[in-house]
Amino acid sequence: MTWEFHPLVKRVLDGELTLGDLPLELRPEAEEALRMLAALDRTPVTLSPGLDVRVMETVRRRAGSPATARESFRAVRVWRWISAPRDVEIRLRVRPWAVGALAAAAALVLLLLARPNATPRGAPAAPTAASAEGSVLVRFVLFAPRAHRVAIAGTFNQWDREATLLAPAGTTGVWTTTLALAPGQHQYAFVVDGERWVTDPAAPAVDDGFGRRNSVVAVPGARAL
Amino acid sequence: MRTPCLTVCVVLGAAGLAAQGNVAARLAGRVPAEVVAAARGIVDSAAARGLPVELLMQKALEGGAKGVPADRVIAAVRTLAGELDASAGALRAAGLAAPDGDAIEAGAFALTAGLQEGQVRELARARRAPFGAAATLRVAAMLAALGVPAKQTVALVRRTVESGRAPTDLLDLPGRVQSEIARGETPAQAAAGLAHAPAAPPAGPPTVPPGRERSRKP
Repeated sequence: MTWEFHPLVKRVLDGELTLGDLPLELRPEAEEALRMLAALDRTPVTLSPGLDVRVMETVRRRAGSPATARESFRAVRVWRWISAPRDVEIRLRVRPWAVGALAAAAALVLLLLARPNATPRGAPAAPTAASAEGSVLVRFVLFAPRAHRVAIAGTFNQWDREATLLAPAGTTGVWTTTLALAPGQHQYAFVVDGERWVTDPAAPAVDDGFGRRNSVVAVPGARAL
Repeated sequence: MRTPCLTVCVVLGAAGLAAQGNVAARLAGRVPAEVVAAARGIVDSAAARGLPVELLMQKALEGGAKGVPADRVIAAVRTLAGELDASAGALRAAGLAAPDGDAIEAGAFALTAGLQEGQVRELARARRAPFGAAATLRVAAMLAALGVPAKQTVALVRRTVESGRAPTDLLDLPGRVQSEIARGETPAQAAAGLAHAPAAPPAGPPTVPPGRERSRKP
């Protein structure tokens, strides 16, 4: 068995060509490669039901340690200093209508900030935020035998091509990572060796608006309804 | 009278600057300066029309990450803003007086995936509890992204929604189409088969597209 596939076969694996585009002599090799790709296990990861219990046991154990107790004592002293009552005299000279105007303006600001979708949302949680309510763990796999480094970038990590690296599975050429994604649709692509953008051959794809394609993953969950 | 007006103007100006600052802060260092400036304008204009703006920010970031020239990034952000506008218009025409951001984004995604504005409107009109317009449009977008022709996509989704099947039957449609494609059928054949198939068996956990094969016609 060889991992050095013909460049055209690799383009089939990347989803850029179909089997029908290949010369006849390369089709068996491509079929073998596709079979290997299809044999990969990509089922969603289910966490052990006992995980919560184990994590909480560790937290309670650490909470009782001497170092934590010292930290707690320091925190109590700081809190006492902050919360101790002190005499402060503030003298304001205001006109009543000015107070009204300021209150109205403050209410307006609150209204503007609270409007949904009126302003850009803040930075989303990191893609590995497994604790996010309703998130689902999704495993991504890419077969890239000659790659030295594979990352994934998408709407779930602000398209940061340095943020989420895939790990090689031994020397098989298979790269994987598992991310906790919020329910909904996410667009993404793999970044091979920091420069080559590759769509996921196992996922649907849409035009990215720049002449390439983005893969799409739909994460099931309550938001899907 | 001058002071209250001044106060309101200062506060409004500060709020606007805060929104612009948010755009600038997220894009700074990730895209060229001209993209930041153009994106600010597009985002502000979209927000003023009640459109969700997160996808616009994401498109600018995507263009920066992919090393796309500034003018093409700006064009892509502007195109996406147009799709969000078209989606909101289609949803309003379908009877949703004030469509939420989720539904508008789902409609825009359906347009990106190849559906027409009229088809988005038709699907939104066909929505039925427990599904909102967003879920219906998202499923349609996934089917289109899988290669199912737009007309067939609309027919299959409408049929599933209107037949009053279980929620999983609609949400599982893309996965079932993908499974049939992996067995060698074309996207159109797979969708046609499902249009006449009985409801999916209830067993089995929900699955995620990267776990399935995409069409590779020999």
